Amino acid sequence: MCYRFLSEVVRYCCSEGLSRSTCVVRKRILQRVTIHKPPRWELMCRVMILPIITVGLLAGCRPADPTRVKIVSSLPRTGSAKQQTDTIVRGIRMAIEEAQNKAGPFHIEYLDLDDSTAAAGQWTSEAEAANARRAMQDPDVCVYIGTFNSGAAKVSMPILNLGDLMMISPANTAVGLTKPGLGAPGEPEVYRPTGRMNYMRVVPADDLQGPLAADWAAKRGVKGVYILDDNEVYGKGVADLFDERCREIGIEVLGHDSIDSRAQEFKSLMASVKAAKPDLVYFGGTTQSKGGQLAKDMSSAGVEAMLMVPDGCREQVFIDSAGASNLEGRCFVTFGGLPPEKLTGKGLEFVERYKEKYGDVPEAYAVYGYEAACVAIEAIRRAGSKDRRAIADAALAIRDFKGALGNWGFDENGDTTMQTLTVSVVKNGRFEFEEILEADRKNNALEADADGGKSNQ
Amino acid sequence: MSNSGELSQRQQAWVLIKDHWDVSALLVLAIAPLGVPALGGALGGQFTTLFIYSILALGLNVMVGYTGLVHLGIAAFFGIGAYVTGILTVPMYPFQIGFLGAAIASIVVAAGIGLALGAPTLRLRGDYLAIVTLGFGEVVKVTLRNLEQITGGMKGLNPVPPPGAGVKLGGLDVGLSFAIDPRWFYYLSLGILAIVVIAMRRLENSRLGRAWMAVREDELAATAMGISATRVKLSAFAMSSAIAGLAGSLYAASLSTTADPNAYDFNRSIMVLCAVILGGLGSIPGTLLGVGILVGFDTVLAPWADSWIQQLDINPTGSSMLSFSGWRLAIFGVALVLVMRLRPEGLVPSRRVAAELHREEEHAAITKGF
Amino acid sequence: MPALPPHLAMISLEFFLQQCLIGVTNGALIALVAMGYSMVYGIIGLINFAHGDLIMLGACLALSLVGASGLVDAGPTATWWGVVLLLLACGLFCGTLNMAVDRFIYKPLRNASKLAPLVSAIGVSFIFMNVGLFWLGPADRSFPELVPPTNLFSGDTLQFTYQDLLVVVVVVLLMVALSVLVRSTRLGRAMRAVSQDPTAAALVGVDVDRVIAATFFIGGALGGAASVIYSLYIKTIGFQMGFQNGLYAFTAAVLGGIGSIPGAVVGGLVIGLVRSLASAYVGERWTGAIVFAILIVILVFRPEGLLGRRTREKV
Repeated sequence: MCYRFLSEVVRYCCSEGLSRSTCVVRKRILQRVTIHKPPRWELMCRVMILPIITVGLLAGCRPADPTRVKIVSSLPRTGSAKQQTDTIVRGIRMAIEEAQNKAGPFHIEYLDLDDSTAAAGQWTSEAEAANARRAMQDPDVCVYIGTFNSGAAKVSMPILNLGDLMMISPANTAVGLTKPGLGAPGEPEVYRPTGRMNYMRVVPADDLQGPLAADWAAKRGVKGVYILDDNEVYGKGVADLFDERCREIGIEVLGHDSIDSRAQEFKSLMASVKAAKPDLVYFGGTTQSKGGQLAKDMSSAGVEAMLMVPDGCREQVFIDSAGASNLEGRCFVTFGGLPPEKLTGKGLEFVERYKEKYGDVPEAYAVYGYEAACVAIEAIRRAGSKDRRAIADAALAIRDFKGALGNWGFDENGDTTMQTLTVSVVKNGRFEFEEILEADRKNNALEADADGGKSNQ
Repeated sequence: MSNSGELSQRQQAWVLIKDHWDVSALLVLAIAPLGVPALGGALGGQFTTLFIYSILALGLNVMVGYTGLVHLGIAAFFGIGAYVTGILTVPMYPFQIGFLGAAIASIVVAAGIGLALGAPTLRLRGDYLAIVTLGFGEVVKVTLRNLEQITGGMKGLNPVPPPGAGVKLGGLDVGLSFAIDPRWFYYLSLGILAIVVIAMRRLENSRLGRAWMAVREDELAATAMGISATRVKLSAFAMSSAIAGLAGSLYAASLSTTADPNAYDFNRSIMVLCAVILGGLGSIPGTLLGVGILVGFDTVLAPWADSWIQQLDINPTGSSMLSFSGWRLAIFGVALVLVMRLRPEGLVPSRRVAAELHREEEHAAITKGF
Repeated sequence: MPALPPHLAMISLEFFLQQCLIGVTNGALIALVAMGYSMVYGIIGLINFAHGDLIMLGACLALSLVGASGLVDAGPTATWWGVVLLLLACGLFCGTLNMAVDRFIYKPLRNASKLAPLVSAIGVSFIFMNVGLFWLGPADRSFPELVPPTNLFSGDTLQFTYQDLLVVVVVVLLMVALSVLVRSTRLGRAMRAVSQDPTAAALVGVDVDRVIAATFFIGGALGGAASVIYSLYIKTIGFQMGFQNGLYAFTAAVLGGIGSIPGAVVGGLVIGLVRSLASAYVGERWTGAIVFAILIVILVFRPEGLLGRRTREKV
């Protein structure tokens, strides 16, 4: 069959290419002249296509410049995550402005790439892959700030790793991206085809957030929980960790279901939740995956339980979309690090300047965008060259960084050493700081390792 | 014979290019990376995406264009192809049979599922068939998302190795070249696209192709001429699914992941359908042009325009009104509406469809005259 | 993933009834949207992809009007009147908009192939979405709670609030009104004539263009009503809401037999019930697949939909 097909191809090429030029073309010419005369603009269009393609391609290239470095970010800039990523981008811009566009001897250029498309309304694998490839192929790009969604990081990490391009995320919290033994089998090695590291993040991962949230719930006297997640890498990851910890410490898990983040309402689901009579409903997900609607339907179905959500919901939009009255006093949110109003030192300065510049309190992730950009600039400065490997190594070697988030550094996995987790509650339509949860990280890691069945040194 | 004297060789060559401008465009694209450095660089990957969508759209064209059956779930078969390739190649599974085997398996599985869906549903008429395909697309998406043990759920299957991983050709690691240099994928997908285009052109004039069009024009008449309509439709369905499966396989390999199931949703089907209709139903160059415009808009033009606006620094506050991406949907919509208004038969209609439409216009003129 | 632990509550009659109530209410809303699809499809055979996004624009207007009028703080009587006014305003807005779209975009394509208006409708839906994006912003917005969520049943086991009641009442009223309109008015007779054969209708003196315009207006007005009901019942609106809305409603219209008004209602109710029962007894995550799988099975056995007429191919 294969042979027949090939012979067809050969026959086609021969007949199309050679014989047509003699007799068939003549027939066509006759037809054209006498019967079918396409409008002129159609012909123009056909003819113009090739030059347009060529010009477009030529426009895309510029020679490398030895005095210039580019920092790119890849965040979802279209669709419902835009509000949150706007603040991250502002944070990044402020960091670069403060450095007066200079990192060591280099002039910094910043490019804000979008990993979502208009058609999808959210991040897509191909947009993220295209961004990563684009950054890879441009020799001026030295740092890739991104991604916002952990799922997107899984796409771009292996691509960027091949070029040793430093990738620093202000918002990824899925554990598998960095921590051996905690994610799926083979993680995180599958994201490092070269075996070298290039990825780091400034935000604490979910192995802290999920279990600590469960501990906090136990302390509050919660006996039964109903767990929901949005079926995405981040939401499901943190919900599963929460689930696991609940079973360990004896909180009864009354149900665990995933929602479709495109559904419009969850009234039936909430009737099921109500019938199970939980003390607490945990939702692993983000505002973009319908956290607000869930809270709203929970309240209108008459579920009296507390609601707990992870950092993906810690943005004002969440409260706005859920309706403040539905959350008042009953909704708790965990967040890695200190909320903007509790920041001190450099962090406080950042918040002040942000307010001055944009007339608004920054969202929780703005400071992470700022910090990621600061780390990027610092790494370029320390490396002192445009060698990507050197820059990534310089960043990973940061052990003591005095930044807006306090004093912290990267550990051997590229994770932040910051261990602070805070719980906030919704009061008067805003998040209000409730308490700090300090983790004894070693204990946590050991326990999690025992579960994962792998030892981490 | 006597006519040949009236046209110079240059004119003859010109007509040849005009008549085969799809093939000529492919040829230009084949040579382009040698002369245009950007194609070897940042843009190469985006063009690969364009080629893959072109393959997908040509597959859809078999069903919508040639056979006249509206299909709103082509993305499901695209996804099936991607996931079959994923399952057969990722390190998580013991198969790891490499790209070629996986691509063939994807084609076979997608065609098989197409047959299984088509057999009971093809007797449905027009819009009912459309909604069945739409429903099937949703079912596939939800199933892929929920069968976590097999498909990895929203994580997708990761990483799909590049074609030729581990193969050494005279000191050149083929797999690594695929991963690092976008030109390899550029040429692979362009090559496959060229094969599909040639196969389609042959098919168009074959017995089967003519049977497809006969069924599209008048099912009853075709049946009266001894064509088994069910069989012909079923073969179109299988062919569409198979080509979509092939495109999916290539897609997974080029992204090095199967992506998440949401990548294979209704939006994608609609986008490809629009491309086929915009370009001209049943017309190969039209389909390619449609994909070039619609998908090219989203994957090449929009990111480029956005970064251009940024570099000019005319939008310091980041308002969505002043960014290109804020207007993307509207531009897209206006383009679709305008093209349909000015050329309802598509930008490059196939001759047969145009002739048919022309007849209808005449008919309409007569009725209006009454 | 661990399965749901068995709860006695899950198999009780009250729980089943509660899910049915939710299903019927949701189904009524879906049916309301589906009627808009069915009207337009019935008359010119166009799957109006922009209908869902038209509803989104209606919801934008409703939100702006509520914000501007300060209806949130008004007393209960004023609120009810306010809802009626909202229904009228949004109905008028969406109806006019739909008619204008038909006039300027679909009408020139009447004699083109069937797919040209379809693609235009997709284009219109993109344009509407962009307008909604500028109107609402990228994030979901909360719609104020105008109708009190007071439970009509005493006790805690069954929940059926004024909001649910509003949905059911409005949908029943509109369905009856629409049926009367189509069955026994002059315009309705003209609509049926045009839907059967436009040329013949023109020959006996029906102004086909005006009838089609009127149909678009009524379909759009139904969408406007749906947008208000949706906003009051779901209470979240966003520029992307049109798509999912349209998907289920369109499915409902086809399931019931596209072009048939009672069919749209039956289809909507079936989908609403399947959705809520699937969520309760199978799992929320599978609802989408189950709804569409049932749709495929029903169409395989009843190719013309539940209440559709069996039509013969024209020779």
